[in-house]
Amino acid sequence: MSDLVALAVAVPIFGSLAALVAGLVRSESGWPVAVVACVAQVAIAARLAATAFGDGTITYVVGGFEAPYGIELLVDGLAATMLGLIAVVSLGVLAYARRAGPRSNPFYAVYLLLVAGLTGMSVTADLFNMYVFLEITGLAAYALVASGDRGRSAVAALKYLLVGTVGASLFLLGVGYAYIDTGTLNMADLATKLGDADPTLVHAAFAFIVVGLFIKVAVFPLHTWQPDAYAGAPDSVAALVSALVSTVAAYALLRVVYTVFGVGFLANNELAHAILVGGATVSIVAGSLLAVSQSEVKRMLAYSSVSQFGLVVAAIAIGNVTALMGAVVHLVGHAIMKGGLFLTAGLVATETGARRVEEFDGLVRRSPVGAGAFGVLAVAMVGVPPTVGFAGKWYIAVGAAESGSWALLAVIVGSTLLTLAYFARLVERMFFREPSDDLEPAIEAVADGGEAPGASLGMRATVVAAAVAAVALGLAVFGYSQHLQPTIEVLLS
Amino acid sequence: MSESASEADPEAAETADDLRSYVESPIIMATVRVVSPFVFTYGLYLMFHGANSSGGGFQGGVVVATVMLMLGIAFGIDPLREWVGESTLVLVVVAGVFAFLAIGVVTTLPPFGGGFLDYSALGFPGASKYGIEAVELFIGVVVASTITGLFFAIDAGKEGGDNE
Repeated sequence: MSDLVALAVAVPIFGSLAALVAGLVRSESGWPVAVVACVAQVAIAARLAATAFGDGTITYVVGGFEAPYGIELLVDGLAATMLGLIAVVSLGVLAYARRAGPRSNPFYAVYLLLVAGLTGMSVTADLFNMYVFLEITGLAAYALVASGDRGRSAVAALKYLLVGTVGASLFLLGVGYAYIDTGTLNMADLATKLGDADPTLVHAAFAFIVVGLFIKVAVFPLHTWQPDAYAGAPDSVAALVSALVSTVAAYALLRVVYTVFGVGFLANNELAHAILVGGATVSIVAGSLLAVSQSEVKRMLAYSSVSQFGLVVAAIAIGNVTALMGAVVHLVGHAIMKGGLFLTAGLVATETGARRVEEFDGLVRRSPVGAGAFGVLAVAMVGVPPTVGFAGKWYIAVGAAESGSWALLAVIVGSTLLTLAYFARLVERMFFREPSDDLEPAIEAVADGGEAPGASLGMRATVVAAAVAAVALGLAVFGYSQHLQPTIEVLLS
Repeated sequence: MSESASEADPEAAETADDLRSYVESPIIMATVRVVSPFVFTYGLYLMFHGANSSGGGFQGGVVVATVMLMLGIAFGIDPLREWVGESTLVLVVVAGVFAFLAIGVVTTLPPFGGGFLDYSALGFPGASKYGIEAVELFIGVVVASTITGLFFAIDAGKEGGDNE
């Protein structure tokens, strides 16, 4: 059943088509279709992950062509982790979107297309194929951001489209430079041939690919699309996009830097290493500072992502086993935590109308579930011990210490304090302040019913599940890291 | 909190009459009648040549879509849209993508037992070539209908409406 790898990409596309057809029969019928497709996707991802962690890396060449010429798909521990994350998060967000989200069928068709694109990026072992899936992911994400009914969504999507397209084009240019000198696009094949290639072309390829992916990951000076896109999108979309799109782009960065260019390239090229370290450091510091200065909760969360992805890039720059383990753990942890935070922000806004930091005063009385989940997730994001946020940052920090990157270590530890700075003020407002009176209009509609009209059980359950997962995954990290170790060692060899 | 203010703007509908781009011209209609079968054939030719020479579904699909554009310009876009129908267009796109995927999956099924998109597993001579041509044809169908849909959507946009 090795065809399962190809089916992992094909199933969401089938689902997407089914959602469109269902829309012709009956409007607002996309949700059940999307659920069926996502459940199937979870099953496929689970099966693939079991094989990848149990029996070792799965490779698959589409169409029976030979590996360097045909498109190779590869599922190792890293890709399997991403597959599982994508499947689970997209299913989880669906539970939230049933009541909250856009309900049109084209929305769910695009939703599943995004899942297909992300899955494709995770499993591909071919650089050009990765570009194709990067574009599919990008286009689907632009359309999803635009699915809000306000003008703000449209503007944010347009900005995202323009900046994101530049990013994808830079990536393609980089792939082109790599191809010119080696005549191959297969990642493993490129890795062996780039060694003998013209160094100028290799440097150009590295720079273009890394900067292109920096745009997709939203690393500091190139992050400008991201806060608008997250804040302008509907809540369920913001959660899905923030949890998965940048995450998979960061995975792509990790994959390209280590599978294609390799450890030796980074060791021999100060400048290449400096690009990664510089991007990471600036992103961590600037992202945190910008997050502190935001007054809108969703924008604050968006800038927080800029800072957290700085940590992941820092781990990629450090490049030893511990740090890369931390990068993967933090990618998964960040996806769960940030997706959960966006959903919680959406739940809070639905229940109380509070969307700005000062409106969170005394939130625990008005929205106990929302405030509780937000508190847990915020604490996890800061990195308090049993949570997954701690595990990821711990691995990255230990990795930095092992490699003697003391400056980076200082930045990583400092970032935790900055994260504390912007989350602590929200937590303090939510739990220890009296609700202010001028918020009455927002609550009025709710006051007589006792329960908010908009929030459903599914929305609350998703939010609580995210909070529980943020803690539970922290406890599971140790066992998981032992399974991931062989994959990372192969990556670094 | 659903704020669904319907945005039916009466003024937009009035000004739309002034923006009407359709001019009935016997010259254009006659030309389109003569040219379109050739353009359509050329589009098909490009699609079928995707396997062994330059050409392919994307180029061919665009050329086929220009037939629809020409028909729209010659005979009016609104009548053409009514004649085609929104749902037909969606169905054609879906059918095209579905057929592409189906070819990929069929080769993995028991009687053939090959890999995904492994045409040679189908077992007849030249299966790989015909498989690629079939896929190019379906890509062409998808591209042509998508471009036609975009053309309709842009046209609907000029009247200030939304064709959802």
